[in-house]
Amino acid sequence: MRKNEGDMEIALEAPRLRAVPSPDPAPTLDSSDAELLARVGEGDREAFELLYRRYVRPLFGLALRRLGDRGHAEDAVQEAFAAIWRSASTYRPERGAAGGWLYTVARNAIVDRLRRNGLATDAELPELVSNEPGPPEKAEDSYVAVRVHRALEELQPREREVIELAYWSGMSQSEVADYLGLPLGTVKTRTRSGLARLASLLEGEEL
Amino acid sequence: MSPDFDELIGTEATGAERAKLREAHDLLLRAGPPPELTPKLRAGPNPGVARMQHRRRAVKRRTLVLLAAALSVAVVFFAGYAVSSHRGSGGSKGAIVKTLELKGTATVPNAQATLDVWQHRDGNWPMTLSVTGLPKLPPRTYYEVYLFRNGLPWGSCGSFVVSGASSVLRVSLNAPYKLHAGDTWVVTRVTVGSEPGKTVLRPVPA
Repeated sequence: MRKNEGDMEIALEAPRLRAVPSPDPAPTLDSSDAELLARVGEGDREAFELLYRRYVRPLFGLALRRLGDRGHAEDAVQEAFAAIWRSASTYRPERGAAGGWLYTVARNAIVDRLRRNGLATDAELPELVSNEPGPPEKAEDSYVAVRVHRALEELQPREREVIELAYWSGMSQSEVADYLGLPLGTVKTRTRSGLARLASLLEGEEL
Repeated sequence: MSPDFDELIGTEATGAERAKLREAHDLLLRAGPPPELTPKLRAGPNPGVARMQHRRRAVKRRTLVLLAAALSVAVVFFAGYAVSSHRGSGGSKGAIVKTLELKGTATVPNAQATLDVWQHRDGNWPMTLSVTGLPKLPPRTYYEVYLFRNGLPWGSCGSFVVSGASSVLRVSLNAPYKLHAGDTWVVTRVTVGSEPGKTVLRPVPA
């Protein structure tokens, strides 16, 4: 009842314009978001897949926060990625970071979904990526969550695992060590290195 | 229940490095847990189902025509369904009549939940709670969902435990009461044999 299955498929339409030149022959895990977005603008499905893997969880989290329903949030995320595929060629790196552009596209998809469901008006999801100072705290928290969850995707799986368990499972580090069958020292080392990597990623990125 | 930064990091990192780690720690707490993906999203974008946009629009137009034609059939179907539901037959829960967003209190600031209340059946209101960020509790302690009316606990709607995994937990509950406008729900932490415990999730103000 809440979903239109046929409506939610990601429509891949070959874009006509290029955003920025793509220098490398193939996208890699080390490619920046802007490089991937440029490739997506040229119709590169491999780049789209990589971008999807990086952003699907953060954007699903954003949609879930605003829509409060997994079915609607899933639809909104699929619509967001369809929009990213269609309009990647319009991204201009000189106007801002790729992460910010992706956030805006996702936010618009969520607002569309809210409107369609009659759940909210624009005022409930204020524009964050704008020139206006002082964004509301709620939107800022969503923005922070997207940044942090995006950065988590960059961690090594073993680091991400201990970070997620340490912060959100309610377990102590000793319990995490028992749970993973690792020495406590290893858990502490991975937690510290994961946090350090996270700090560097969040310091360096300009979502 | 949030992890203690000093315990996590110990005393090895100092100065600027420690400040940097602290900042990441604070941002993690503020962000809360990332969601568990749905199977469909986990599967990734599937080029096999890719369609050209204009084709999709054409399909949509055709779908609208078909929908109009199917509407009369659907009305008959749902009328029959409603009758069979009223008679207490099995099947789905019907429509969601209320959705409530809940947020963790100071005890568990990163917890959040969505409570869907479904159309009642014979005076029972099935509910689905989707919750993240609640910690595993010690033995003999559990979470209990309370109906609140006029600011006071009215009655229990069920209880649950958390295994400790970081994914979204979905639990089925039931409100066997006649619901009133303004009714709301909270999640409390209860120890067996004691009074109703501390509230850990309360509704997000509208």
